[in-house]
Amino acid sequence: MMSRSLTPYVLVAPLMIFIAVFTYIPIFMSLDLSFRQWNFLSPEMPFVGLRNYEQLLSSSDLWNSLRVTALFAVLSVPLRLALAVFAASYLVRESAPSRILRGALFLPSVTSTVSIGVVFSWVFATDYGMVNAVLAHLGLPKVQWLQDPHLALWVLIFVNTWKQLGYDVVIYIAGLQAIPQDLYDAAAIDGGKRLQVFRRVTVPLVMPTTYFLPVISVIEAFQVFTIVNVMTKGGPAGATDMLVNLLFEIGFVLFDIGRGSALAVLLFVLLAFLAFLKSMIVGRKVHYES
Amino acid sequence: MNRDNPFLSAAALLAGLLFLFPVLYSIWISLQTVDAYYAGKASFTLDNYLRAVTEFNFGRYLLNSLLVSGFVTLLGISLATMAAFAFARFTFPGGNFLFGATVATLMIPSHISLIPNYLTLAKVGLLDTYAGLILPAVSNGFAAFFLRQYIRGIPRSLDEAAYMDGATPLKVLWRIIVPLSRPAIASMALYVFMTEWNSYIWPLVAVGREDLFTLQIGLARLYRINPGEGLIDWLLVMAASTVTILPVLLGFLLVERHLVRGITLGAVK
Repeated sequence: MMSRSLTPYVLVAPLMIFIAVFTYIPIFMSLDLSFRQWNFLSPEMPFVGLRNYEQLLSSSDLWNSLRVTALFAVLSVPLRLALAVFAASYLVRESAPSRILRGALFLPSVTSTVSIGVVFSWVFATDYGMVNAVLAHLGLPKVQWLQDPHLALWVLIFVNTWKQLGYDVVIYIAGLQAIPQDLYDAAAIDGGKRLQVFRRVTVPLVMPTTYFLPVISVIEAFQVFTIVNVMTKGGPAGATDMLVNLLFEIGFVLFDIGRGSALAVLLFVLLAFLAFLKSMIVGRKVHYES
Repeated sequence: MNRDNPFLSAAALLAGLLFLFPVLYSIWISLQTVDAYYAGKASFTLDNYLRAVTEFNFGRYLLNSLLVSGFVTLLGISLATMAAFAFARFTFPGGNFLFGATVATLMIPSHISLIPNYLTLAKVGLLDTYAGLILPAVSNGFAAFFLRQYIRGIPRSLDEAAYMDGATPLKVLWRIIVPLSRPAIASMALYVFMTEWNSYIWPLVAVGREDLFTLQIGLARLYRINPGEGLIDWLLVMAASTVTILPVLLGFLLVERHLVRGITLGAVK
């Protein structure tokens, strides 16, 4: 007979072991490896101090990746959230049309990113691609969407927004449904116009409710990999070489374990800093009681 | 209110189809013959699917994806349910700390564990195995958190009555908590399955053997081994892409509402 006081430990132990081995211990392993030089094959892994970090911070690849990733986040997160709040304010009502549209918008967010990457590679292909076929019909020249360094990142932002929009919409709808109806009634009595109500009531009130979305979207933007790996491999000329793609290249193409780990640690610290910054800002936002 | 206005419903359906048009059209061309596609006509065939299965091992990749996602779901949900039961029903020293550590995994970006997990599995000889694909994906902090919240909503009196009758905690978990949590467990199982089905970076690094490829890896490679854009066999690639999408698509259409509820419950405070 299992003692009653031991029971909870036995129940949580399996999950805790997996979390420790595959989530927490790796953080310390990464930190340790980031101070060593190792190519995965050599028997020795000498301690080299901060050399991996110095190499990284003095390489143009890292600064390029930081710039590309920051650009991706700065352009795509506000775009996603603005579109989502707007769509959600129309789709929040329970009716057949809004259910249909919600379903259609949500579908891409559960669809394989690899498939989406492949399909949109075809949509934006220079020859036989859908977009260029439409342009040709209009008598316009072909555009090299994924081969042009000035356009490729925009294509990725477009595809990522298309994929994630429905998820954001669903979250915002839940947030909107939590706004007390009295506020809308009060605004109606005061003669608020639709757009005014949206700006003065909906937007400020939905922000704290779903404060988690901007945080998650920024963190996600800093972790984008699949779509880059499938559509551009970081090219052309590094124009879409986002941070996790660089990490993958250093760690699993060059097998420079030390430098790859240093990059993983830098990225981790950067994300922790962003989360901290966000919590400072969100913490000052007004919350309401219903 | 425009409740169930048939005209609006039709317009919404049209807008939805337009939004999904790239994917729908990719499914359409996967069913076309090569001659018809390039001549701009329509002529249906399953030839592209046959080639994906016979010339390229997509039947095997499908099986691998089903196996890996199935086991990750089974193990992940079992572990999460046990832990959730403990967190919801027992007060024990360290309990809050462990629960905090579980929830905190949601904030930890997964890339930090990529290289270490690769090395850990290499050390125990599990790279290039099913176990290597499955084990790092098993722990799921979100499922544990979500199920714990759900279990807290089940009246404690039910547990207590069972304990009075001499039931063990495991029996209470299995006979009372699990049956009553079925909707929550189902939506989490679906969520875990879909996430694992679509996962890419870990299978990409953990497996080099072709016969262990999941659909995602097989599809990405099929697309990438094509020599140049103009020469890509789009019909074959789209057939493979459709095989990759379809199981999740069908599952989604069957249970959309459960899934959406599951996701929002966790997200909104």
